[in-house]
Amino acid sequence: MIRFPTDVAAVAETTGELRAGGTDLMERRRSGRATGPVVDLRDLAGLDGIEVVAGGLRIGGTVRIAALAAHPGAPVGLAQAAGGLATPQIRAIATVGGNLAQRVRCWYFRNPQFSCLQSGGSSCLARDGDHLYHSCFDDRACVAPHPSSLACALLAYDATVDLGGAEGPVTVPTALAALLKGQLGGAPVLVRAVNVPAPLPGERAAYVRAIARARAEWPLVEVVARVVVVDGVVTAARVAVGGVAGHPLRREAVEAALIGGPADATRIAAAAARATDGAQPLPMTAYKLPLLVGSVQEALERAVGVS
Amino acid sequence: MAIDLSRRGFLRGTLGAAAVGGIVPSSALAEGLASPVPSAPADAMVATTRVETVVNGRAEAFAVDADETALMVVRERLGLTGTKEACGHGACGACAIHLDGTPVASCLLPATALLGRTVTTIEGLGTALHPVQRAFVAEDALQCGFCTPGFVMEAVAFHDRWRAANTRPPTRDEVAAALAGHLCRCGAYPSLYAAVIGACAGRYDGADPAPARHEAREKVTGRAVYTVDVQRPGLLVGRVLRSPHANATVHAIDLSAARAVPGVKAVLALVEPGARVRYAGQEIAAVAAVDRRSAEHGLAAIAVEYVVGVPAVGIAAALAPGAAAVYEPRTKNLPLHFEGVSFSLPWEGNRRGPLDTSILARPAKARAAVADPANTVVHARYVTQAQVHTALEPHACVAEWAGDTLTAWISTQGCSAMAEDLAERFDLARDKVKVRCEHVGGAFGAKLVFSPEINLAVQLARAAKAPVRVANERAEEMIVGGYRPGMDVDIAVAATPDGAPAGMVLTGLGDGGVSVGATNGLMARLLYPDLPKALEDYDILSHAPPGAAFRAPGGPQALFAIEQSMDALAVARGEDPIALRRRWDPNPIRAMLYDTAAAHPLWAARGPRDTGRYRRGVGLAVGTWYYLFSPGTQVRLDLADGRLTASTAAQDMGNGARTVLATAVAELFGLAPADVVARVGNSEDVHAVPSGGSRTTASVGPAAQDACRQLQAELVAWARRGMGLSRPVAAPEGVRHEGGLAPWRDVMASAPPMTMIGRRRPDEEGLQLGAGPDVALGKRLPGAVQLTEVEVDTRLGRVQARRVWLGLGVGRIWVPALARSQAEGGVIQGLGLALYEERRLDPRTGRGLTIGLEDYRLPGIGDIPEIEVHFEERGFEHVNGGGVGLAELATVPAAASVANAVHAATGWRPLELPIRPDRVLGGVAS
Repeated sequence: MIRFPTDVAAVAETTGELRAGGTDLMERRRSGRATGPVVDLRDLAGLDGIEVVAGGLRIGGTVRIAALAAHPGAPVGLAQAAGGLATPQIRAIATVGGNLAQRVRCWYFRNPQFSCLQSGGSSCLARDGDHLYHSCFDDRACVAPHPSSLACALLAYDATVDLGGAEGPVTVPTALAALLKGQLGGAPVLVRAVNVPAPLPGERAAYVRAIARARAEWPLVEVVARVVVVDGVVTAARVAVGGVAGHPLRREAVEAALIGGPADATRIAAAAARATDGAQPLPMTAYKLPLLVGSVQEALERAVGVS
Repeated sequence: MAIDLSRRGFLRGTLGAAAVGGIVPSSALAEGLASPVPSAPADAMVATTRVETVVNGRAEAFAVDADETALMVVRERLGLTGTKEACGHGACGACAIHLDGTPVASCLLPATALLGRTVTTIEGLGTALHPVQRAFVAEDALQCGFCTPGFVMEAVAFHDRWRAANTRPPTRDEVAAALAGHLCRCGAYPSLYAAVIGACAGRYDGADPAPARHEAREKVTGRAVYTVDVQRPGLLVGRVLRSPHANATVHAIDLSAARAVPGVKAVLALVEPGARVRYAGQEIAAVAAVDRRSAEHGLAAIAVEYVVGVPAVGIAAALAPGAAAVYEPRTKNLPLHFEGVSFSLPWEGNRRGPLDTSILARPAKARAAVADPANTVVHARYVTQAQVHTALEPHACVAEWAGDTLTAWISTQGCSAMAEDLAERFDLARDKVKVRCEHVGGAFGAKLVFSPEINLAVQLARAAKAPVRVANERAEEMIVGGYRPGMDVDIAVAATPDGAPAGMVLTGLGDGGVSVGATNGLMARLLYPDLPKALEDYDILSHAPPGAAFRAPGGPQALFAIEQSMDALAVARGEDPIALRRRWDPNPIRAMLYDTAAAHPLWAARGPRDTGRYRRGVGLAVGTWYYLFSPGTQVRLDLADGRLTASTAAQDMGNGARTVLATAVAELFGLAPADVVARVGNSEDVHAVPSGGSRTTASVGPAAQDACRQLQAELVAWARRGMGLSRPVAAPEGVRHEGGLAPWRDVMASAPPMTMIGRRRPDEEGLQLGAGPDVALGKRLPGAVQLTEVEVDTRLGRVQARRVWLGLGVGRIWVPALARSQAEGGVIQGLGLALYEERRLDPRTGRGLTIGLEDYRLPGIGDIPEIEVHFEERGFEHVNGGGVGLAELATVPAAASVANAVHAATGWRPLELPIRPDRVLGGVAS
């Protein structure tokens, strides 16, 4: 079954899995992992634009990743995250909302032979099985990291998200967090838009994606870092990390260790070491701790412009 | 720990409970590998929305459902088979089409999204070649050609975009960014760079260039037809039910419900009650139906009951006390992952062996030498992983019966051999079997044997009385399509105090699942003959799928251990690794390569070890392989209407057989290769060798030359008899006679039709250990030396190969452009083994985890170093044709040379493959 709602209200009335670009859903339908009716957003108007609002951006939920990556107003960390994920062919089709709402990339979830917590089973098969690419912050029963690179960037930019039929932001800024933590219940969640506040004066940012190959790989660890440096002193910082936990994490301890200090390599290294505060690696993911520290250090150095 | 044994959830329990011996009824489909089905056939089968679109300039309209993709529209509805399906999940790019001018992965694009849009496929690029297509043709930016349409579509869009905005050509990195969504398993990336940059520089705006590869034009236009593209009237889709259990016994199997499923035309049980299941993915039953979905519904309706046991997954589990025995000891006819014979060996539990290959190698002396404290001894354990072949065209067969005649289109490396196998297995006269493999989308050893899809297609076609295609889906190909087994090699190598060879003691464990063939010792025997050696190999049997011969089976794994040991020995002795090898290695081919390597700037300009974040190092490793050829290979040469046609029942999987054939003939008649019609891939042509062990060029080339010489003799006779020329003799340019020279072209133009059968005559000298018409071992071992420069990012754990020099001593190079392409591909597959590729199975169930090309990491274009290939053409003058094969040699040293480079860069020696970031971070920190 397939439906083509034409407005936001109609989406709210449907049941079934939403399909925008389909780059995640079609693979799951092909494998038999996803079944049931599809709510195809093809004919949904008005969510595919990027507007400048109060110095920030309002990015429609069906904006293509490639369009966001190429948008001249997109902040650096967000644009780099958008441009660094997947491949050009996927970015041309996949959407902002779909990227946030995609399911985990765990090989137990993606293989329909297995039944795990994400597919109706009673336990996380990766936890006691092969979790080489999984979380090192043991923050939920399922140990697959959240797959959205945009989510990591949006967290770093204090973005909010407009969901479903609501007129404005559902809650500020917890809607994004709730969405990413899967706390919005079973109904289809339409991402109408994400709102990215205006950048801070003088801020600089960088995105780091730690992978084995040059491109086109799910991140082992990813980091978006924003800093404001005034007269050599860090006055503001935001660090968000992905690939390490069930949802992207803000690293407030790193931020706090930076603010008020000199924007130099020594201070950055010391601050980056705080990125693993609270980490509880699984037997096979201990390597992600030094990789996380190194990636945060890398992102901060690039943002600040030291090496 | 609970695992749902059924996806439908009506049966739940623990694996442990099931293992006690309970009978587990199982919904077959729910468990089948890659055998999905929509939950409700009603909604999935109904086409619910009308889509009007424009494809290649033509208005089209279809009723599509929620699951139809744009790829299905172009391939199945419109028959535009230039667009390929390889991975099925957007990772490989073979399915790229233009949607309003932008390349997209059509396998993930819902068909509903085509409404009101404009689609262009490879067939729609136009009748004249695009500059990008010309560049691909000229630069040999393709091998098997299966990924080529996707690369062309992406590169065309990039080229047009680039030249609209720039006047300079793009950098390699800019090209890599644009082509990041495409994978080429053959490893044509260096030529892809050259082609895209060359086209963007405007070098291919003019006339169509001469093709480097005979069939290049067909491949860059999407016209090349592969087995998965073959269309036949009434063609049915065959699908396979596979066991979800790695260790089980089939208790009962019921096909009756499946036979009643609408659209199902044939159902076959492949096992009987009582049959053992030894790996997850093993074939249980098969269905042929009118389309994929009906076939899936048919599979879902097959009821299988299993008695399930605990599987032994991996070497440690297989050797653990109490592990389930995979076979009864001394079971015969085990699957082999080695291109040779199966030896009869001792057998205890899951350990089969040893295969002692130390005969006449002075093993006692070797053991004493590694225990002698006066010697320099290096001792370590080297562990390699399972590397899957995963050719982008999966294993596939289309079978069609017409009376008692069988035609089989097969994606195979053995056109003649498959016809012979089919005749034997189905008790048919040889002339009642026709095998076709005009184009084969990669193979690498996995398509040498008579694999299950061939058998199933033939049987289903006979049962259904209709043609049937059986093709692996990617998830199946990744698990049951063959792999290079991991090896666990304990090795000690000793040098005397003055640096002379003292001894090697090697014990290898093969991790080939239910297959055998660990032969690390045989590789060791080919190198350093003055070194006393004690060599033992064991096969550790486990509940994993069978491996298959993979481009130098056993070679890269053994050399990973041997060549790192040699490097470690040189380091321990404080001497240059080349100096040590010169003393220990008497191979005259490599002696020449050592000279070239030592003088190469990559080696000569090595600096002191870096200490910063990025550390560069250069590693050296050598390679060896056998020189094999096929004395039974023939080439038929027909002259008709002045035109030459060369044909042989060989096959071209990207190895260039067609081009070698055309070039060999063209050279002797002063023609361009394109002037010769070259035909392979038809079993009704004269016998040819299977393409394995690098026998093809060394067999087909000389046989073609033999046919040419015979034809020239006939043409000389014709010149006297038919043309009235006086005292004619054959000369390179034509027929020399008293009145001057008649070019071959002119003589052929006037000659009547002639047909010659050329044979692969023996070499002028040398041992030829024959094992039937298809294999003979020739004299002298070819040699390889590889230098690799890596850069290790010690912060993020990434190892990047930056530059490679590969010296190959294989004698005369028949077609330099293609030999270079093949060598580069070998390097790249070796880099994949060294750095990225790794099949992983669930440790508890034995089911595949890396079932797609996201989780299984193939090298992409951005991972490719600058590769320089040096051919040393001396040393094979005794060989008929002057040259031997190179496919194996080009891939065997890579992993060891990368590892030695990592050691040179960091001081840390990688003992396990692949050299992943987690291992680098752990290793460099320690």
